[in-house]
Amino acid sequence: MSTGDTFLPRRTAQQPTLPPPVRLPPSLAGDPSLPYPAIGTELHELRLQIPGVQGSVLGGVDGLLITHDVPDGLDPDDLAAMAAATFGLGRQVSLRLGQGEFRQSTVRNEAGYFAVYAVGPRALLSVVGADAINVARLHLHAPPVAERLAKLLAPA
Amino acid sequence: MANLDTALKDAMTIDGAIGAALVDYTSGMTLGVAGGTPEIDLSVAAAGNTDVVRAKMRTIEMLKLNDDIEDMLITLGGQYHIIRPLTGPNGKGLFLYLMLSKTRSNLALARHQLRTIEEQLEL
Repeated sequence: MSTGDTFLPRRTAQQPTLPPPVRLPPSLAGDPSLPYPAIGTELHELRLQIPGVQGSVLGGVDGLLITHDVPDGLDPDDLAAMAAATFGLGRQVSLRLGQGEFRQSTVRNEAGYFAVYAVGPRALLSVVGADAINVARLHLHAPPVAERLAKLLAPA
Repeated sequence: MANLDTALKDAMTIDGAIGAALVDYTSGMTLGVAGGTPEIDLSVAAAGNTDVVRAKMRTIEMLKLNDDIEDMLITLGGQYHIIRPLTGPNGKGLFLYLMLSKTRSNLALARHQLRTIEEQLEL
């Protein structure tokens, strides 16, 4: 039997029904209209007020650095990216458990802490702390800082 | 032997007690709280007093006294605050924190009772 006897249905290209592309807001990183001096003061104050805070970084949820207050030896771009990765995991956990918006995540290592706080829906405050840090005090102090930072970012 | 909840409840039966907490001074977090008032947040008190305990321990170490804190008394205008680090094998890194009203309490008795509670506390 030759193949010419059978008529196979002809495949025609179908227009896929894709959802409309998500319109993401522009990244906060590199936005010149942000009040950088005020943000810098907040980050600097955090380091002064809580002994053991080695540095803090404000980054977007996209993992891009907005501004930072970290000493030499810590890479702020890396920290902003790791904060976004932490946020990603936290958000997935929250979505699965139905627990609402991501608020905070702490990683404790043998020799220190890395804490990430949500700053509004679009930014993250990450803090690197020594092992000796009073982490309860950080958890009491940082959320109001994050709230003030969210207000500073809001008009942008 | 008393567990954490019983110990905190016992601490609140001390005359003049306003609030009590068991605090981990490596992190400043509370393991348990009892009492307190709407104005007094015991977790804030715990985090703040963690720095007090750490500072005193560091000072003792710097002075090479080779000794431990039995308890600490902080006298306010209207309150006494007693801090008592735990001595048991499971109590390492923890302290009991008790707030007392100055007018309604007997300091010597309260200190004695807190020692008993601390000795009987089993985690």
